[in-house]
Order: sequence, then structure tokens, then C-alpha cells
Amino acid sequence: MNQKEENKIPVLISKTRWILPIAVWAILSFCTPQFLQKVEERSFFEFDLFWFCGFLDKPSGILSWCSLFFTQFLYIPWLGALVWVLLLTLSAELTRIVFRMPSQISFCTYIPAAIFIAYNMSMGYMIYLMNHPGFFFLPVLGYLWALLTVIALRKAEKPVTSIVFTVIWGFAGYYVAGFYGLAGIAAAAIDKAVSKNKYRGRMLSLAVAAAVVILAPILFLGTTTYYLSTAWTIGIPDHVHSVSLERLQLPIIIAFLFFLLAPLSGMLEKMASKSIVYIQCTALTAAIAIPAISWYRDSNFKTELKMIQAAENLEWENIPALLNRLSTEKENDSSWQPTRVMVVLKDLALIKTGQEGNRAFDFEDGDKDQKRRWDVQMSMQIGWIMGFHYGIPGLCQRWCYEESMLFGWSNTTLKYNAMTSILFGNTELANKYLNKLGHTLFYNKWAKKQRPLCNDRNLIEKTAPYDQILPLMCYDDLISSDQEGCEIFLKRHFNGPSPQNSTPLYDRVSLLFAIKSKDPTLFWTRFFLYLDSNNPEKIDRYYQEAAYLYSNLENNGLLEALPFDDQVKKLYDSFKATSSKIGPKSMNEARNLFPANLRHTFFYYYYYVNNLNVF
Amino acid sequence: MKKSIQYLTLLLCLTASCTGIPDGAVSDATPSIYPDFTDITVPSNIASPNFMIEDDADKYITLLKSGDTQVRISGRKVCIPLRKWRRLTSSGNISITVYEKKDNGWIKMKPFNMDVASEIDSYVTYRLIPPSFQTYDRLSINQRDITNFKEKVIYANSMAAANASDQCINCHSFYNWRTDRMQFHIRQYNGGTFYYMDGKLSKLNLKTDSTISAAVYPSWHPTHDYIAYSNNMTFQNIHTNHTDRMEAFDEESDLVLYDIRNNAVSIIENENDEFECHPNWTPDGKTLFYVSAHVDDPDWFYSIGGASRRNDLLKYNLYSKSFNPEDKTWGKTVLYYDAAAADSSLTWPRVSPDGTKLLACLSSHGVFPPYQSEADLVMFDLKKGTWRYLDEVNSDLAESYHSWSSSGHWIVFSTRREDGTYTRLYLSYLKDDGCFTKPFPIPQKDPEFSRKFMYSYNVPEFTIEPIKVSARVISSFVNSTDAAPVSFEQKRGE
Repeated sequence: MNQKEENKIPVLISKTRWILPIAVWAILSFCTPQFLQKVEERSFFEFDLFWFCGFLDKPSGILSWCSLFFTQFLYIPWLGALVWVLLLTLSAELTRIVFRMPSQISFCTYIPAAIFIAYNMSMGYMIYLMNHPGFFFLPVLGYLWALLTVIALRKAEKPVTSIVFTVIWGFAGYYVAGFYGLAGIAAAAIDKAVSKNKYRGRMLSLAVAAAVVILAPILFLGTTTYYLSTAWTIGIPDHVHSVSLERLQLPIIIAFLFFLLAPLSGMLEKMASKSIVYIQCTALTAAIAIPAISWYRDSNFKTELKMIQAAENLEWENIPALLNRLSTEKENDSSWQPTRVMVVLKDLALIKTGQEGNRAFDFEDGDKDQKRRWDVQMSMQIGWIMGFHYGIPGLCQRWCYEESMLFGWSNTTLKYNAMTSILFGNTELANKYLNKLGHTLFYNKWAKKQRPLCNDRNLIEKTAPYDQILPLMCYDDLISSDQEGCEIFLKRHFNGPSPQNSTPLYDRVSLLFAIKSKDPTLFWTRFFLYLDSNNPEKIDRYYQEAAYLYSNLENNGLLEALPFDDQVKKLYDSFKATSSKIGPKSMNEARNLFPANLRHTFFYYYYYVNNLNVF
Repeated sequence: MKKSIQYLTLLLCLTASCTGIPDGAVSDATPSIYPDFTDITVPSNIASPNFMIEDDADKYITLLKSGDTQVRISGRKVCIPLRKWRRLTSSGNISITVYEKKDNGWIKMKPFNMDVASEIDSYVTYRLIPPSFQTYDRLSINQRDITNFKEKVIYANSMAAANASDQCINCHSFYNWRTDRMQFHIRQYNGGTFYYMDGKLSKLNLKTDSTISAAVYPSWHPTHDYIAYSNNMTFQNIHTNHTDRMEAFDEESDLVLYDIRNNAVSIIENENDEFECHPNWTPDGKTLFYVSAHVDDPDWFYSIGGASRRNDLLKYNLYSKSFNPEDKTWGKTVLYYDAAAADSSLTWPRVSPDGTKLLACLSSHGVFPPYQSEADLVMFDLKKGTWRYLDEVNSDLAESYHSWSSSGHWIVFSTRREDGTYTRLYLSYLKDDGCFTKPFPIPQKDPEFSRKFMYSYNVPEFTIEPIKVSARVISSFVNSTDAAPVSFEQKRGE
């Protein structure tokens, strides 16, 4: 291959670079829409001056506000993804243009963007711990600010103007963008240093920039309330486990090291064409490999997100279907189990659709650990959903407030707080939250719909989801604690004394919790309450199975008194036969030894689903 | 051309501002305004009470009159420039008339008044915290200059080296309304009690082997170098189905005295079957008021599930105890008010600066009234030995922490009257007849502030001067200094 042809290769590769953003957008839009929506749900942006002013009290607040502005578009995942990808592409292309990088090495400019993609898409469960407003868009917007700084400071060519401009822009930039402002000043100084300026001018640029980078955070410390050591990195997303923060910040810092190297790209012009080919190919590989390798892949996490999404949208029918679909996919994976979040959401959905008696044990049970770096409590994922939909508004409020304290207000917590205030008839408080949501782009319609419900008990009783929650609030208030975890709390609540004014729905839910507790005494109490209040034409399958099993075990004479289906009796006999052959086994061992029809019985649950960790 | 447009615009503006007060129908209804500043008594030095007219109309004009001074403001939001407000208050009581333009022309609403009374202490220090249960990531102690709208952070837990969730700050307190001596507690990360005394900073660990916890609720001795504290083992739980979101309760509490000069802690009260709390000195420093709940059988109390289940049984009574500050000896304890006998619980006793009155909270049970919507303020006349509910001040929702101004003419108190959840600070004036005037919230620059602000105010305390040490100095000290130990000494007297 001659040199001319060699030169063409990197240019040809460069021309394919448009494929990357399109591919990323497509993958984001079609493969991870739930993740993007979760990012949006956990954020909040309102068009309100008062709220905006809240961002002005520390450096990088304005950039966080801008990031939140863009984050709201993730409500429509393809749209938000498009905006993000366009910004990433802009950052890469603008780097090439600003630093006049030859197209032979154009993929180098995509490396920071690739790191930003990897950073966001490797999060997984970390998303529940991120407490930096607008963290998703923050790095790319910070990058663009840094580029803007380079462009702006180039305009000041005379030494005095340059110094004055660097100082003013540097301090202002630090206030607007924090770390990114400082990175911009450093890059601009390097840019000037490698330009054809005189030696003195170069040194002066570097010295002034260094002074700004050191002094700006120190000078701002007097007016703000953050810790000294974070002053230089303020604006890099952080999370609640700050001890491990450095690890989380590293990718962003590496991305900006690439940015700082960009002004030196002119040196590459002198390199041999072979080296250029090598650099371009490496950059291309890195731009693809970095996000591809770090992309978070966990089917349980993905299904959890879909199930939570369905619960938020009151699409209860979808939740068991999602769990079923995943179970089918994982049929041959003997180590697979659902997480507790999936199990409890499935139970809630079955109650909401009235299928709990016939389908509660129709699914794999389990307590699979989250694939995560830091522990995420179930309550932080779905505490408010459980509290609200099980008719325990105190639990819902607790987790909404804890969430807002830890991570700031989000669309989700505002929604649930508004709904619990409506349930309690607290119009003023409901309006406080509805007003905030009313100022948003995508939740204002929802807020408008809720307003007529404030203080109109009759309307609440007829409107979903309240119509299914009010019957569950028939119990006397208790002072309680959920420190042990959300699921244990629910168990304790529904397995406690039955309320005097119990409703048929409450009795149904209590019966489900009783049957899951494997406590025959509790079961019989709840079973007869259920029969009495619900008066079912036919007793649901799993309640028959439990009654049949306990009657056999206790020999209490109910075998003849209760109308058991033949199918229940046959299944019991079949289970007994298989069980006596297999003997006592652990849950994982038993799972592979029992056929599906026997695994999905109460008998199997009673004998083989044991020692599950509940949270 | 450009200049002509500018002149024309200027002319239009001038003409508009000269427009007289519109004629029209007269309504006998006062306008609906937020915050409700109608017919209140304000301190002469307070910041302008900006408000928003809630009635629906196309246009609004508000006319504020006091003596010869007149201020006219257009628009729904009535934000009174501070200088004009000062002119109004210096001219005497203020009459405010709102004109509303609706379809059928201008309507003059019934005027309302703001009476101007004596000055108030210029500064209120409070803790800001979003409503929460166990987490406290966003805490700060702030000081507001209530003669204008300036607010500054005294210390925020975001200034701690570790994550904010690791550090709680609470119970700021000042010596005789001055700021040369102040204190607040830091829990968990870099914990201790922070003191700023006559220019010196220190941090102490007031937990000793002989006390149940570090210091909690403070009361500075007014004449000597002592601080009375309660020691509390406090917990909190949630209500499952009640508008009062949670309960805070003590499982144990005692009273201690910290002797600043000797750097020593001694017990004031630590009976096994009593939960003592909320100490407060009389102005002469010779009597300590405090509250205490009696538990007949502590073993039984805990055997039935701990205080969380039985918090409703805890009824706090008001006690007083004489003290000789010269030799630190204590006299007998006297039951001052038996709240338990009336099936209620009395908390937060605060004696007025002249020592004639005592303001407190009365609720159905427990020691933490902010979480009880029925909690109300009550006032004892210490001369006559009578007490009454402050009906003119109380609302249907919780009233709780309260402080006297140094003059004893003003009180600031916490209330959840606006929405049941977010605690706001209200002021009220004590008239010569012993009644308070209609309470009103501390004015804010933006009239809608309270509706939009997502933090609660805790522990409002007046001071007559600003805090002299900066947040950055406090932060570097708090986060770089270990809490020094204190010694324990035996109680004297009784």
C-alpha cells in the first residue's frame, strides 16, 4: 500500500463516524427506554424563577439547571436520547473544528463522548443513588461549556485583554459550570501556549490560567456551603455513598484529560501516515468498545424497571406478564431467580387485578441479589409504590420525603406526595405539589387532572387509583416502623389484627399475606374472613390448595366440609408422590426436580420455597 | 427615530405612574391576600410585608397610606420597596386599600390595617430542613435579618467533609439574645457540641459515663456560666394512616447542668420513673422550669413494646426547681402544672424576659408537639398562677417551638397552619392587656415564597445582633477538631 492510499484509510474511516451517533440513538431508544424514563422520573424541572434561583447558591448550579432542562425530554425516551446524542455529537464535532483536528484522527474527538455514554449507561442500580441534579446531561453540557471557553478566550488576542478576559471568564465560568469551567480555562491556556504566540505570552497565559484554576474555587468558598475538597470537582456527578465518589468521578476526569490534549493535536500532523492510521483505528475501537464493554446488562434490572414503570402507569396486567416473559427466557438458566422487587410487584399487580388467589404461585419465587456496586434498598426503589397502593399512606410519604431529602424532589415523589395529600383531604399540601408539577412540561396535564379531586371525597372514591386504595385504609392508624424493610413491614401490617371495619379488598390482601406466611392459624382466620366478606362463587385455586394441605396436616374435618376441586386433590396427590421420591431439598435443587405444574402450587411453596431474604 | 421611541416610552411610563386612584363600586369585603397580612400589628423595623392578591381580577392597584405618606403599587403581587415601607411605618399605622378591575369596572375593596408597634429583635436564627423521617442530607442553620430580606448560612452539613447524611446539626442557642456566646450540636460525623464564646471556638463531648446521652435541649443560665441541658434517648416512628406523619418520643431522658468554667457536667434530675426534658431558666437564674413525664412502672412500660407503642401514655407536667447560682445548689422540685391530670402534655416552657409569663405547648401526649396537629400554645401568668390557651394565636394545626424577643413584646413561633407539613415562622405582638395580636408570617421578598419553599423552619431564636463568626470558620473548626471531654461532678444540695 502506498502512502497516498494509507492516507485515505483514516479519512474513509472518518466518513463513517455519523453511523455511531445513529446507532447509539437507536440502541438507547429501543433497548433502554425504561432506563431513560427512570432517569427522567427521578429528576424534576419546572419553569419557575423561584426554583431557578435555588440553583444559584453554588458553582455549577446553573449547569445543573440546564441539565435538568434537557433531562425532562427523556420523558419521551427517543426524544431525550436524540437530544443527548446530538449534544454528544456536537461536542465531538465541535472539538474537531475548534482545535482544527485533521479528519484523519476525527474519531479521537469521540472518545470523551464515548466515556460519557459509558458513564451513564454503566450505572444500573447506581441510578437509585445518584443525587446530583441533572447528572445525565451534566458531563456533556460541561464539555460544551469548556469548548465555548476555548472559543471565547481565543477572541482576546492582546496580552492584557487576554489576561483580563481569562480572569473574568474563568471566575464566571467556574460559577456557571464548576469543574467544567476550570477545565475550559486550562484547555484555553494550553491552546494559547501551543499557538504561535511569543514565549512570554504563552507563559503568561498558562500562569494566569493556573492562578484562576487554583483561586476561583477558594474565593467562592466564602460564599457557598460545600466542603473544601470538592471545590475543584464541583459539577462532576456524585452519589450518596461519597466515600466511593472518587471512583465515580474518574471517568469524567479521564474524558477531560482527552479534552486537554486536544489543543496538542496539531503535533500529529507531523506524524507518519502509518501512525495516523493506527491512531484513527484505535480511536474508533475505543469509541465503540468503551460504551459496549461498560454498558450495564442485567435482565432482572431491566425487567424491574419495566415492572415499576407499569405500576407507575397503573398497567397492572403487564406486570405478571413481564415476569413470566423473563422466566420463560431464563428457563434453561438454573441459577436465575427473580429479585424481591419483582416478586412483590407481581403480588401487588395480582391483587390489583383480582388474580392473586389463582395466580400467586404461578411464578418463580426468589430473592436474587441485585447486580450492583452499592446496596440499594427495596424501599428506595418502590417504597412509595408499595405504601400508596397497599393503602398505607404513611409509608408512602415516608419514602417520598426520604427520597426528596437524599436526592432532591423528583417528578415521582411529587406525584405520590400529591396523591397521598389528596387521600388525606389536605388540599393545601396537595396544591403545593400539584403547583410544582403544573409548571412542568410533561406532568402539567396530570396535575390538572388531579386538582378537581382535592377535597372532593365522592370523586376520589370513584377515581383510579384512589378507588382501590381507600378500601385498604379501613384500619386504625398505628405508630410503626419499617426499619426492617418494606416487605417485612407490609407483612407485619397485613398479618396484624384484622380491622373492625375490614373491607372485602382488605380481607383479600390479608389472605394473600397469610397464605404466604405459611401460618395455618393465621390462614384459617383470614380464610373465613375472606369467605365471609367476599362470598366467592368458587374458592380460588391457591386458597383451596392451602386449605386442602392444612386440612390434611391438621386432620380437622374440613376436607369434607369444603368444596375442593378434583384438580386440587389430584395435584396434591401428585405432589406428595413426587415429593416423597425427591425428599427434602434446597430451593434451588428442588426447582430442577419438580415439573412446572407441581412447582406452581402452594404445596411446593409450603415445602420448598424457604429461607428467602425479604427486605 | 430610536430616540423618539425612547422618549415616548418614558412619557407613557410617567403618565401611567401619575394615573389617579380609580373610581368605582365599593365592596364591603376585604381582599383575599396571601400571606394574610390583614389587620395585623407589625414591628416598626420589620421588612416590608409583601403580599399577593388572590381575588381574580384583570388589574390591581394597592394604595398604602400612613399619615401623609402614600404608596401606590400596581399588580397582583404587592412588593413594597423597603425605603417606602420605612417611610410608611415611621408615619404611624398603615391603611391599605386594594382596587380590583373586573368586567364591570374598578371595585374598591374594604381597606385593612397594619398597626405599627415597637421594634423587634432584628435577627431570627433557625434550622432549615426538608420534611423527612430519618435522613438529613440538607440541613443548615441560617440567620435571617427580619428588618430586610437578607439571610445567611451559619453552618450547613454540606460543609462537612463526609457526605451530608453523616452529620446532623441542631439546637442552636444564644446567651441572652446576644451572639458573643452561642452553641449548637453536631451529631454523628465529627460530633460534639460547638461553642462560640467571646471570640473562642470549642467543641465538647458532653456525654460522660454517668449520663445517658450527649447534651440535647439547652438553656443558658442568664447570669452565670452554666447551661442546663436535657439528655434524651430520642426515637421516631411513622403513622401508618394519619395526617400527622410521625411521632418522635423519648425512651429515656434526664436533666444535666454544664458548668462552663469548670468544664464539668452534673445531674439535675435523673429519676428512673421520670422523663425530664426542656429546661428553661427564669431571668434571675434562680429557678429552672422543666417538664417531666411520670412512668409508674418503667419495666412494664418497656415490656409492652417500648415507648413507640406507649407514647400516648406519656404526659409531661411542668415543674420548677430552685437554684442557687453562687454555689450551684439545688432546692426542692415543685409541680407547677399537672398536665397529666388534664390528660394532656405540656412541653417547651419559655419564661418571658420579665419573668412574669411562661409560654408553652400543650398537646395530647408526648414531648414533640410539631408532629401533633392538635398542639397549641398556652401562656401561664406566673404572678397569678393562671394559664390560658392562646386562642388568638393558635390554629387548627400544630403550633410548637416559640421564643420571646429580648423586649418580651414579640414572640416568634413555629406553626404548620399553612399546610400541615411545612413548618413556618409567625410573629405576634403581646399587648399591654396580656393578649397577643393576630399572628403573621415573617415577611418574604416573594409573597409566594411560603407556598413554593420546600423546607421547614425549626427552632426560631431571636438575637439582637448578627452572628459574628462565619460559616466557613465554623465549618473548618467543626470538621477539623475532635470534641474535648468534660468531667462529671456530683449534684449539690436538695
